[in-house]
Amino acid sequence: MGLFSKLASLLGIKKKEANVLFVGLDNSGKTTIINKLKPEDAQQHDVVPTVGFTVEKFKNKSLSFTAFDMSGQGRYRNLWEHYFKECHGIVFVIDSTDKLRFAVAKEELSMLLDHNEIKRKRIPILFFANKMDLRDSVSSVKLSSMLKLEDIENKPWHICSSNGLTGEGLSEGTEWLSREMESAIKQQN
Amino acid sequence: MEQTCQKSSVNAAAVEKNKKDDVRQRCERLHKNIAEIQYQRHSMGIDVYDDFMRYQESEHRQQLEKQQKYDAKQLMKFQERMDIHLGGHFEFVDKPTKHFKFEFIPNGGGNPFHNLEKSSVLQEARTFNETPINPRKCSHILTKVLYLINQGEQIGTTEATETFFAMTKLFQAKDPILRRLVYLGIKEMSKIAQDVIIVTSSLMKDMTGKEDQFRGPAIRALCSITDNTMLQSIERYMKQAIVDKVHAVSSAALVSSLHLSKGSQEVVKRWVNEAQEAVSSDNIMVQYHALGLLYHIRKNDKLAVTKLVSKFSKHSLKSPYAYCLLIRIASKLMEEEDAGSESPMFDFIESCLRHKSEIVIYEAAHAIVNLKNTTAKELASAVPVLQLFCSSPKPTLRFAAIRTLNKVAMKHPAAVTACNLELENLITDSNRSIATLAITTLLKTGNESSVDRLMKQISSFMNEISDEFKIVVVQAIQSLCLKFPRKHNVLMNFLAGMLRDEGGFDYKKAICDSIITIIEENPEAKEAGLAHLCEFIEDCEHTVLATRILHLLGREGPRTPTPSKYIRFIYNRVILEQAPVRAAAVTALAKFGAHCEELLPSCVVLLERCLLDTDDEVRDRATFYVNVLKQTQKALNSTYILNGLQVSVVGLERSLHHYTLEPSAEPFDMKSVPLETQPMVEQKTVREPGETVSAKPSEKVAASRQDIYAEQLGAIPEFANLGSLFKSSSLPIELTESETEYVVQCVKHTFSRYMVLQFDCTNTLNDQILENVTVQMDGAEGFDVLKTIPCPSLPYNKPGTTYTLVRLPEDPQLVTGTFTCVLKFIVKDCDPNTGEPDEEGYEDEYVLEDLEVTVADHVQRVMKPNFSASWEEVGPENELEDTYALSTMKSLEEAVKQIIQFMGMQPCERSDKIPEGKSSHSLFLAGVYRGGHDALVRAKMAMTEGGVTMQLTVRSTDPNVSEVLATAIG
Repeated sequence: MGLFSKLASLLGIKKKEANVLFVGLDNSGKTTIINKLKPEDAQQHDVVPTVGFTVEKFKNKSLSFTAFDMSGQGRYRNLWEHYFKECHGIVFVIDSTDKLRFAVAKEELSMLLDHNEIKRKRIPILFFANKMDLRDSVSSVKLSSMLKLEDIENKPWHICSSNGLTGEGLSEGTEWLSREMESAIKQQN
Repeated sequence: MEQTCQKSSVNAAAVEKNKKDDVRQRCERLHKNIAEIQYQRHSMGIDVYDDFMRYQESEHRQQLEKQQKYDAKQLMKFQERMDIHLGGHFEFVDKPTKHFKFEFIPNGGGNPFHNLEKSSVLQEARTFNETPINPRKCSHILTKVLYLINQGEQIGTTEATETFFAMTKLFQAKDPILRRLVYLGIKEMSKIAQDVIIVTSSLMKDMTGKEDQFRGPAIRALCSITDNTMLQSIERYMKQAIVDKVHAVSSAALVSSLHLSKGSQEVVKRWVNEAQEAVSSDNIMVQYHALGLLYHIRKNDKLAVTKLVSKFSKHSLKSPYAYCLLIRIASKLMEEEDAGSESPMFDFIESCLRHKSEIVIYEAAHAIVNLKNTTAKELASAVPVLQLFCSSPKPTLRFAAIRTLNKVAMKHPAAVTACNLELENLITDSNRSIATLAITTLLKTGNESSVDRLMKQISSFMNEISDEFKIVVVQAIQSLCLKFPRKHNVLMNFLAGMLRDEGGFDYKKAICDSIITIIEENPEAKEAGLAHLCEFIEDCEHTVLATRILHLLGREGPRTPTPSKYIRFIYNRVILEQAPVRAAAVTALAKFGAHCEELLPSCVVLLERCLLDTDDEVRDRATFYVNVLKQTQKALNSTYILNGLQVSVVGLERSLHHYTLEPSAEPFDMKSVPLETQPMVEQKTVREPGETVSAKPSEKVAASRQDIYAEQLGAIPEFANLGSLFKSSSLPIELTESETEYVVQCVKHTFSRYMVLQFDCTNTLNDQILENVTVQMDGAEGFDVLKTIPCPSLPYNKPGTTYTLVRLPEDPQLVTGTFTCVLKFIVKDCDPNTGEPDEEGYEDEYVLEDLEVTVADHVQRVMKPNFSASWEEVGPENELEDTYALSTMKSLEEAVKQIIQFMGMQPCERSDKIPEGKSSHSLFLAGVYRGGHDALVRAKMAMTEGGVTMQLTVRSTDPNVSEVLATAIG
């Protein structure tokens, strides 16, 4: 690290970087949420299903995020694991109206938590109960019990309802995530 | 003078020797002295020798250390910088002379990636996973990976996939160099890694993004990872990209579409409107690529292509490359349509000759010159353009023009003669490739008087051109020699000179081929050519060439006026060479002995010396030949030495294998082995001057064709006990017109007492299926139809075969006949699309043309290299002689051709070629008649006013055969 960037980080101008993995079933709203989190001028108007993955960058007050937006379609889910190793935080997005596939989401979640790279590490996991604006959406509390989130042991987790289109609830979630990650990074150092 | 020289050198040697002795004595004395002193000192406790050495050593060491220290310092200073800038470093090199030297050691000839190891590079590639990414470092590593792949290093699927996924993480970095390397990496890995589809969205984002320099490469990478199922989802973006304002993006999309169309023609076809729009782009590359895509989309539709050409030939394109493509499309169309100069396509190509761009002009000229049926009139427009290019200051243009002219020179020498002046100037061109082509072109077009001058010119820089061009020169000389037989002296000497020079196998082979061809075509050149070849084998490292030349010597040498002079060359080979050459030399010697009686005793002596050779093959051959020669019987000589084996090697192998599988008390019968079918010699003689001898491989195929038939017939149980196949007729006989409903061809297979007729049938009606297809044959007296083997089903456009077995007449004189043939079958109508036949069919028949069995069907061609020996061998017992007046024949050539066709026999001793201006000729034919009887025919012909008069003499081992053959003509 050069002298200038050292100085910058001391002064708090330069932000710490963190890799965040966005996962979840297809059509849960991952790309939409990331799109909303990006600065106003970089946002896209139309969002299409992701094939494979894309990398996006955005910042909040304390951290600069590198988001790996993974595709949620069935045939690509086994490719998530290639990106587990380097991530500092995971965002799991759930379509809170898609009651039928809660079981699938639960299955994917447990597989993710059981993975060798994730199991041992204390990685914060943020759950977005997305599409809260829709009428038949399930509340975040109910969702957490349905997904049995209380069974997650060695990892800090948090669930919040969100609306990817308006951005409602997103800042709450990312604040929590950045706090958790910052403390984790501090502990490492 | 010479003597004094020798003397003085002797004196010098003596002096030298004296000096040496002197030195040695003094040394001995010195040693003795030292030893004495040492002994004395030693007794006093001092060791002189040791002392001296120690002093010297310490001195040396001090110097050395000083030097080393200095050098090391210098080295440290330089090393780092050199490593980076020069791709190498300095190092102390330990020379055998004990002097350390400071030398520059490059890293593998200046290549920094030399000696990369796959596993360590792939290990390094894990750096990609680190955060934050170091673009410089990652670029370097990725370059290494790409280098390895491009060097042909094989990377396993698991390794590749791991590296690929590591690479995908580099999408985080915005560094343009790294990103573009990633695109390259994706393209390279797309075929070896799994799940490459993972980068689809990332690439789509770059493809539609703001960064123009990412967009083109992203499109190319995307198309390399996309399969048919994914194509639908990117279609919209591809269409947009094709009509993009940025030229690089548009070009990338067009070319990628072209690649995609290989796999999924249908999807790409839908992009035709966008491609259409892109053709009107003002960028030359985009226009060219768009035209290419349009053509590929429509290339299967001839009408659409014609429209395409006529449309764009009118509204003028901007891009010269697009013009070139259009010219190529147009000339291809003309070729398919067999169109001449009246075609509108030709008008277009001709108009391109007046285009302002050189590349277009050349393309047009090249196209015209290469059209299938160009006449002098069409060439008249193209050749002047090429002529102009010949004097262009640009070497590329000169080269292109001369190369094209060189090609036309064979077809249209007259047209090229007009450029002779320009060509003469190019002879001294500083570019050797241009000069070589100019000279060979001139040689092709030039007249006899210029040959000497050109040969002189070309020999001045023969050493400077590569083997490839030397072969071009050799071929030009060969064709020249055939064109101007009188010049063989100069040309042969030149070839011999080339033969002496350094050169690779292909080059030497080309020269030998040329000399051999010249010898065969021109009897006057024979002696000189053989002498050159003799000289060549004295120092020839290529076994193949040496054996070939020895074989030639054995065949041609004995018939020269002084055969004895070749013996020395051949026997030298026996003494000096390796086993295969020795064996060939032994055979050649035996041929001299067999042919020339006066040489026989000496040859036998020489052969007897080979009886104790170390190699089995050489010894066996020598023993065999000595014993045969000692019998001094002409018949034996002819069969076993001069004419050799005439069976097909494949057939012999099969027969022997068969014999070993089923051993019987009877000895193996050579006559049961099928004879080697002689390839059509006529085709070879009409070779165009200038064409090279390259038809060899096809002859081999022809020779084994009969073996294939034999195998096919042997597989049918009904034909298993017919004996061995004697002959299959060479060309299939058409029993129908080629455009009729059913096409039938017949091949006649002759056995010793039977004949199998193989009918290859094709059904050209797509709404019918034929079943139980047979050919009914009637009409020939004495021939009994024994059996037919039907073809069970004959669907549309799939050839099927039916056989008919015929017993040949008992009467040995009755061998010819005419059959009427009718194709009989059951027709079932079917759906042309699905091929589903109806349940019920009905019987029908189709009349075929008559099939004739001729004398030629009973005779197999056999090459007798030495006809007169065979003639004596058969003897006059069954000789028949008759005189014919062939009034219908207008020339000797025609008569020779007809007789060969009637008899179905092989012309020997090159007697099928008639020297020009002769009014009489002797034709020698050799063959084997069904049943294994040798048959020879001598036809003496004379040209008279009323046609050709011929005296035909037939000799055979069987009286009936002579009778049959004698009556064949008439």
